[in-house]
Amino acid sequence: METSSVPTPSPGGLPPALRGILPVLIAVPVLLLFDRLLASAPFATYLLSIMGVNVILAVSLNIVNGMTGQFSIGHAGFMAVGAYVAGVLSLSFKETALSFLPVAASDQVFLVVALLAGGAAAALCGFLVGLPSLRLRGDYLAIVTLGFGEIIRVVVQNTDAFGRALGLSGIPQTSSLAMVGFWVFLVVLVARRIAYSSHGRSLWAIREDEVAAEAMGVDTTGYKVRAFVVSAFFAGIAGGLFAHFVPIINPGSFTFVKSMEIVVMVVLGGLGSTTGAIVAAVFLTLLPEALRSAFTVMGAEGSLAQKVDQIRMPVYGLLLVALMLLRPQGLFGMKEIWEVLPRWLPRRRKGLA
Amino acid sequence: MSPGAEASPPRQEEAPLLQADSVSIQFGGLRALTDFNLAIRKGDLQGLIGPNGAGKTTAFNVLTGVYRPTRGDVRVAGRRVNGWLPHQINHLGLARTFQNIRLFRALTALDNVKVACRAQGALHVEGADLGAKLRGALRNYRDWWRALLLTPGFMAEERELTRQAERLLEVMGLSHRRDEEARNLPYGEQRRLEIARALGTRPRVLLLDEPAAGMNTREKADLMVLIRKLRDDFSLGILVIEHDMKLVMGICEQITVLDHGETIARGAPEQVRSDRKVIEAYLGDNYLETHGGAA
Ligand SMILES: Nc1ncnc2c1ncn2[C@@H]1O[C@H](COP(=O)(O)OP(=O)(O)OP(=O)(O)O)[C@@H](O)[C@H]1O
Ligand SMILES: [Mg+2]
Repeated sequence: METSSVPTPSPGGLPPALRGILPVLIAVPVLLLFDRLLASAPFATYLLSIMGVNVILAVSLNIVNGMTGQFSIGHAGFMAVGAYVAGVLSLSFKETALSFLPVAASDQVFLVVALLAGGAAAALCGFLVGLPSLRLRGDYLAIVTLGFGEIIRVVVQNTDAFGRALGLSGIPQTSSLAMVGFWVFLVVLVARRIAYSSHGRSLWAIREDEVAAEAMGVDTTGYKVRAFVVSAFFAGIAGGLFAHFVPIINPGSFTFVKSMEIVVMVVLGGLGSTTGAIVAAVFLTLLPEALRSAFTVMGAEGSLAQKVDQIRMPVYGLLLVALMLLRPQGLFGMKEIWEVLPRWLPRRRKGLA
Repeated sequence: MSPGAEASPPRQEEAPLLQADSVSIQFGGLRALTDFNLAIRKGDLQGLIGPNGAGKTTAFNVLTGVYRPTRGDVRVAGRRVNGWLPHQINHLGLARTFQNIRLFRALTALDNVKVACRAQGALHVEGADLGAKLRGALRNYRDWWRALLLTPGFMAEERELTRQAERLLEVMGLSHRRDEEARNLPYGEQRRLEIARALGTRPRVLLLDEPAAGMNTREKADLMVLIRKLRDDFSLGILVIEHDMKLVMGICEQITVLDHGETIARGAPEQVRSDRKVIEAYLGDNYLETHGGAA
């Protein structure tokens, strides 16, 4: 008989302390190598970075919308908080460096500090937004998060320190593919390990039946708020990363359209499926690029290719409608890719260890 | 009005584990429950019966904190819990099942029980100062770290939870369903899984809302025996709602009869059975023909 429903992630011989961080030890060198290989391909690096940011956003939103079954539609707001806090911080420490470190290393230290500050600010906002609205049932969270996203945008547009509508430029471009990749890796690790802990089980329980969860002693409000805070933290990190590899950030990057884009990613991947969120985020990042290239190749010169960004919203709308009709549970439902794929491949047996 | 409670003097000193003091609740103009009294002590096995819409489920909902009483007090383990949240009341040792099964449908049978086993951990401290609350909140975030880093403490806790949950599944005869999703279980097993889950919170009082509904006569009889066994093995106080008069009469020592939210009778089964008001209430609803007569 098995001893636990929680899959033990790595070979048994390792000391437990090492087993916990083993994935990190493997991921870091791989990411650095990848970074080096793509050093001479700036567009690929840029696209992969955008993709990474979207994956972080989708996976973190999935903790709230998927695993906990709540409906937050203001994720871009938290991303904005992270981007502006981290961006302003980096701008003001632009000229400073840690003298005892090489410049590149010093830059990275500052970047990480700025990211963490942005993440923490977003998490704090998540707490302030989540605590009152998550006590209430249902739609309140959607309304409040929607409002929050708009408020952030208005605040930014009217604050000189944030560059108003023009945005912030000149933020040191210290982010790298390795840094983005590292946070992607981290958010996935957090999502997966939480999903298989008692915390995760409580979140699933809330998603399945809030009344029953409460009756079984689950402090539903507390769990929902914690999930929301962690989710907002990673949205803030994603925003911070974004601010450090795009030439300029302005309120236009964090609109309701962006929030909806993330929601579509989560729904498309399957509410509750982390790998689903990843696949959908990758797909939806590449889709506009693919369309752009397709239009360009077809000779539609600037016009259509430029309009790709404008037709995003209707495309997402259509995608959602098609999804609801054809596959309402999303790509993978609430399962992960390795649980679903064997069933799709006709010849392989179930015994996937 | 409760002769059974007075009958055993040695237990009088102890406050009942669950007590309702003239509890009333109103929904708009509808008086769903009026002056409801109840006392459950360790080892009690009481029944709550009444025709459809009598207010039985409403009584459960008030006792477990789903609704706040309009008047009167609910006490659990001697503490007044009016206005507490259901999970806080649960932490004092009161667990329940639902009439319309409310399992975590997409979770496995084992995980359903594990949710309950874990949730019991944190105890609600009444009137805790801000510092204590903050520490409590931070402790919850610490749990995330432990899960993230797979600390030995976390792994040990997981194993312990699994062990507890497996044992409860075994008690309820569900070991063979361990890894099956709750929604795929047959009806009767879902009802038993709800009981296993409720037991996971380590209650001292268990409220069962029509646990035998939808079962055939044999299953019902088995379940009643099992309920009695649970009471003894886990030293619980149990209050059970059941439509089938014969069954309740068979296992309960004291029965409360509700009709239109009012308590119309209370006492030993024989006493209740021959009560004129009870017969009227049930006949008025054609109850004996539709339910009682079937068995
Ligand atoms: N939340 C609510 N709002 C309004 N009315 C309610 C609510 N809950 C219950 N009622 C009403 O209270 C009355 C008692 O309902 P309750 O569910 O407690 O009956 P019951 O004794 O459990 O009946 P049954 O045997 O059918 O389960 C019913 O008339 C019902 O419509
Ligand atoms: Mg009922």
